[in-house]
Amino acid sequence: MDFLAPVINGFGVVLEPTNLLYCLIGVVIGMLIGVLPGLGPAATIAILLPLTYGVEPVTAIIMLSGIFYGAQYGGTITSVLLRLPGEASSVVTVFDGFALARQGRAGTALGIAAIGSFFGGTVAIIGLTLLAPIVAGFALDFGPPEYTALAMLGILLVATVSNGSKLKSIIAASLGLLLATVGRDTFTGEARFTFDNLSLADGLDFVPIAMGIFGLGEILYNLEERHNKVQAPAKVANVWPSRKDLKESSGAIGRGSVLGFFLGILPGGGATIASLAAYAMEKKRARNPERFGRGAVEGVAAPESANNAAATSSFIPLLTLGIPANATMAIIFGALLIQGVTPGPQLVQNDPELFWGVVNSMYIGNILLLIMSIPLVGIFVKILRVRAAILAPITVLITLIGVYTINNSIFDIWLVIAFGLLGYMMKKFGFEPGPLVLAFVLGSLLEENLRRSLLVFGGDPAGFVGRPISGVLLLAFLAVMLLPLLQKAVRKTRTPARPVEALHEEKERV
Amino acid sequence: MIKSAFTRRSLLATGSGLALALALTACGGNVAGTGSSADASKFPSGPVTLTIGADPGGSTDLIGRALAENASGPLGAPIPVVNKPGANGALATKEVGGANPDGQSLVILNASLFAITPLAVSAGETVQIEDYEVITGISQDDYVLVSNASSGMKTMDDLTKAGKKFNFATTGVGTGSQLAQALLFKQAKIDGTDVPFDGGSPAMTALLGNQVDLATIQLAEAMPQIKAGKLNPIVVFSKERNQYLPDTPTAVEAGYDVPVSQFRAVAAPKGTPEAVVTKLRESFKKAFESDAYKAFNKQNLFTAAEIDGDQVAKDWAADAAKYKELTVKYNVDLGGGK
Repeated sequence: MDFLAPVINGFGVVLEPTNLLYCLIGVVIGMLIGVLPGLGPAATIAILLPLTYGVEPVTAIIMLSGIFYGAQYGGTITSVLLRLPGEASSVVTVFDGFALARQGRAGTALGIAAIGSFFGGTVAIIGLTLLAPIVAGFALDFGPPEYTALAMLGILLVATVSNGSKLKSIIAASLGLLLATVGRDTFTGEARFTFDNLSLADGLDFVPIAMGIFGLGEILYNLEERHNKVQAPAKVANVWPSRKDLKESSGAIGRGSVLGFFLGILPGGGATIASLAAYAMEKKRARNPERFGRGAVEGVAAPESANNAAATSSFIPLLTLGIPANATMAIIFGALLIQGVTPGPQLVQNDPELFWGVVNSMYIGNILLLIMSIPLVGIFVKILRVRAAILAPITVLITLIGVYTINNSIFDIWLVIAFGLLGYMMKKFGFEPGPLVLAFVLGSLLEENLRRSLLVFGGDPAGFVGRPISGVLLLAFLAVMLLPLLQKAVRKTRTPARPVEALHEEKERV
Repeated sequence: MIKSAFTRRSLLATGSGLALALALTACGGNVAGTGSSADASKFPSGPVTLTIGADPGGSTDLIGRALAENASGPLGAPIPVVNKPGANGALATKEVGGANPDGQSLVILNASLFAITPLAVSAGETVQIEDYEVITGISQDDYVLVSNASSGMKTMDDLTKAGKKFNFATTGVGTGSQLAQALLFKQAKIDGTDVPFDGGSPAMTALLGNQVDLATIQLAEAMPQIKAGKLNPIVVFSKERNQYLPDTPTAVEAGYDVPVSQFRAVAAPKGTPEAVVTKLRESFKKAFESDAYKAFNKQNLFTAAEIDGDQVAKDWAADAAKYKELTVKYNVDLGGGK
């Protein structure tokens, strides 16, 4: 029972009134921004970072993670009611959710989504509780070679599994890698792309890049897009799904939760891919797949369970290995560092209260979300009626002030503006910001650990294969790289259109 | 719910706005102070800003904040702390060096930035101690060479007799950790590869996981693992034995000419009037004497080095010359990975 003692202590941490309050604030903000299209959890967490400097690390992270999984709930609401996915991870929910809403069954769709999210989240937390210490047990074996292999795998996944055009993803990822090289060389002290500017000596900071590309870029883009999109919200009646609906969707919820859990652990995976994959799987399994897109309850249940499970399980690589699985995790990583906590192998042992406090706060957060989501749905919808002309400038102002306060640096404000414009252009020309930001984060990880490994190996690259963990990771790297080629070969022999492709087309129309 | 969320946001905005306004006023104060900078009787004419060139939470930040808290009473003015991380502290140090020399803007200096970093980076990225009026030395933070306990290496003798090649982790290029190890291993004729990490914590994690054979990290960081028996302290690099690790010999005692410690000092821009400097010195002296500050040093395992400001400037310049000479003598290149 030794194993359970810290887990139970963690509940003690969560149940402190301050932490409960911050958990509630986090999930409410999360839900709110989930409803607001454009403003994603990554940007929100980045904007609200300075707010957490004054509180205990565990409290800060409880709130920030609440924002993250809260957003997965909130994103559903606008997808169903307005055909406006508040989050990328809710894009597939649009297809069947909006169809259900048009049939006057919006309540059913939202109710199923809330229950599925709760279930998915809970499954993932249980997985996190049981698996994280095991993963962390191997964690000290993770040296530079293992991180090198992981970063390579992560970058490959980012480039291959993102939603849009592959070529554009690779271009964006390459740009991210290039940006990661700016600054003083960690190994030689040589200045790279700094143009004798001391503000660039430490390289580009992640926060201004994320705030610019996700926050400012999305705001600019939405100002342009918004007029075309807003439709009158559908009426929300009868939030509780019928027993028949529940029965129909229970299988989808279960499968979505498990799939989401595993995809969330992978670097570069995360909620968006999990929801896409879960939807594709349900559609493939269904006896009559033509129901999908016309109001199938499973089409809401599976992706919503999966995105919440993935949102939760993406904490595993961060908290146990110190590797952010997606952009939001990268910001939470930064938040932890600011708090003087280094996420990584040592976290479970060195800081069990923080670790279990954060993990257990997710149980509470999920219950809070389930209780709130149902009565609050109607109110959240009203926020959409705030005119963009009012909402956008306020958000921009908060972004700029927020980024200034991190380093007290005017230079960072210029960075946000520059990256905001870049983000806007990228969005406009169909480049996804995700690969750029992820490649930026993984790029320095890859470069430093590759060079470090080679120093340790005395320059012999064979060392990577000789170590069990890095060897296995490199095998996985090869598998991910070769699988699409194999699939292509198989597809040539079998003609029917694949559901994933259909999904991509629909997504681009959204 | 929504209302409260919005209130929060506007509170945040107002708070940050206020901070911004304060910062702006502070700048304005500096400009206005130009004419009267010679008139020390009016000092301090407002809040004295203490800039720290590191992220909140690190040793430099903790020291700066503890000092500001205890010195503001004797000085008779608030001492707000502003973090401006970048380029190992060079960014903040340069900025304060160019500020109005009226004593209203101070900065915490790290000795390594003046004495060690120039050995690794280009001249444009360095700072010179001559450009500052050092108010007073603060404290000393010692480096300790550690091995993983499972390796059985406990003394320098164990290392020299092992007759193998060691991979040693440093806390980064141009740090005391890198210089100290590079010089030690060259002098002891131990074959080693320098593996830079991004700070002390990842370097220590790598050593705990046996990814590297040795590491040199700051004492306070290594202490919990040394106490837990996971790491063996081999030598400390201070000139005298460290009070918190009295049984570990210094490198000098072991017969190697490698005295490297991280010293910190507080400084004002060059040209600050003598009377202002004196007033600042007195205030910091009172801060050093306070029980709260002494307890802080003990808790964080810092050794007081409250040396007179002029002496600090001389010491650091001498250290810089000595390190330069040693690196030439032993053919050590800190940018060696090139």
